[in-house]
Amino acid sequence: MARSSGDDAQALFHSLRSAYAATPKNLKIIDLYVAFAVFTALIQVVYMALVGSFPFNSFLSGVLSCIGTAVLAVCLRIQVNKENKEFKDLPPERAFADFVLCNLVLHLVIMNFLG
Amino acid sequence: MAMATATARSAVLLLALISFLLLLPFLAAALSVDSPKGRRVLVLLDDLATKSSHSLYFRSLQSRGYDLDFKLADDPKIGLQRYGQYLYDGLILFCPATERFGGSLDQAAILDFVDSGHDLIIAADASASDLIREIATECGVDFDEDPLAVVVDHIGYAVSDTEGDHTLIAADDFIDSSVILGDKKIEAPVLFQGIGHSLNPSNNLVLKVLAASPSAYSANPKSKLSNPPSLTGSAISLVSVVQARNNARVLITGSLSLFSNRLFRSSVQKAGSSTRHEKAGNEQFLTEISKWIFHERGHLKAVNVKHNLVGEADEPAMYRITDDLEYSVEIYEWSGSSWEPYVSDDVQVQFYMMSPYVLKTLSTDKKGVYSTSFKVPDVYGVFQFKLEYQRLGYTSLSLSKQIPVRPFRHNEYERFIPAAYPYYGAAFSMMAGFFLFTFAHLYNK
Repeated sequence: MARSSGDDAQALFHSLRSAYAATPKNLKIIDLYVAFAVFTALIQVVYMALVGSFPFNSFLSGVLSCIGTAVLAVCLRIQVNKENKEFKDLPPERAFADFVLCNLVLHLVIMNFLG
Repeated sequence: MAMATATARSAVLLLALISFLLLLPFLAAALSVDSPKGRRVLVLLDDLATKSSHSLYFRSLQSRGYDLDFKLADDPKIGLQRYGQYLYDGLILFCPATERFGGSLDQAAILDFVDSGHDLIIAADASASDLIREIATECGVDFDEDPLAVVVDHIGYAVSDTEGDHTLIAADDFIDSSVILGDKKIEAPVLFQGIGHSLNPSNNLVLKVLAASPSAYSANPKSKLSNPPSLTGSAISLVSVVQARNNARVLITGSLSLFSNRLFRSSVQKAGSSTRHEKAGNEQFLTEISKWIFHERGHLKAVNVKHNLVGEADEPAMYRITDDLEYSVEIYEWSGSSWEPYVSDDVQVQFYMMSPYVLKTLSTDKKGVYSTSFKVPDVYGVFQFKLEYQRLGYTSLSLSKQIPVRPFRHNEYERFIPAAYPYYGAAFSMMAGFFLFTFAHLYNK
């Protein structure tokens, strides 16, 4: 029984990997970008847990910039993905323009709150 | 013509005389030193024979510059003050048998005299009246309630040919203080004959200067003891001093003959010891303690409290947290004729707000200036520089200067907080990542 569940997990993992290999390249670039942002956020949370939350506004600003970046990148991925029926009529340039504008606003806010 | 010159000359003379008289007080002020206490002392006696039988003691006071005014205790003309001003700076009561004082003097007047900062010496005796006992009680000292009791010591008495009932005792249990009793050790015991008193142990203003030996007790020597005496041993104080909170000093003792010429000149040998001293320690003891009572020793003054930021000269109105500041004060001691710098290594200053945040010992330059420097604590509020100094035999110093401490202004913080560098780094790395991502997204195949 243990062997079969081990085999099942491995089979699941293999199928996930092969399915993911089939995604288009630009979506994989966005996924990498999101992973980078979330990783940076986790580093900051671990640092705060060790050192304490002294300049709390700086902590919030740093974490928010990472999370905000990740959220905007996920939105871009949803809108650019060709398999997504909902945004079939949305031109990818429009999605990219929205992404850039929102990021500008996000970074303006972050710079002000950083202290 | 001649008459005109004569009137002119007399007018010039008159003018010179008037200007000299006007300048005289300034001359006098320039010659006198500002002693903390005056020199006029009123001495009240039961009868004028005391003036001659205690002349050695009075002469020792007069030779140090005191102006003694001898009066009988029931003289109707005595008064301590006139029109609100005190006529005397010190009072000596050598009148143990007086029931009522004459003139305007009474127990309340004497206590007001002490409350206004003047010094007092009270000598009671075996025939002490209620008035004297009550004055002593108000000063913090309780004489034995039995009016016939005297201090008797069958082991520490003074060996003599005449007195056989052991009421003349030789006491040598002195307080250990060179401020009160002088630098020279008193070698010979002090001869004492009179009543004893006890001190309340919770009273911290009164000091036992000469205590009776553990074998002494207070009882009537002529009658048999029916129950154990209430005052025994070292709890009996023969000579006590009180330093009030306003630094007035009071000496209370139960023997008028302690001050007498007879005991000053007599030789003393304590029973049980083989040494016979040629002269009893009474004169040295009383001279030194009178110096202390009349503030010739142990009187401190603190002047010139200064505080400023390190490197600046003037006192700011307010400090900021984590400022470096320095504090200095000058303390002098009256030596009997001039103010000498006080040298000690245990003067401390507190930076106090509800509790001392900083407590530092001041260092002295031996010329009277005490100074220290410290960092203002990281707490803001209204602080005080408090200097509390109470040592045995010295006047108490209590100085306090208030100063507010403010927090940082918004532009006095550090611009970039080192603890937040990772957050700065993360935010900027996100911006750089976004920039690079746009190229990657637009130009990938």
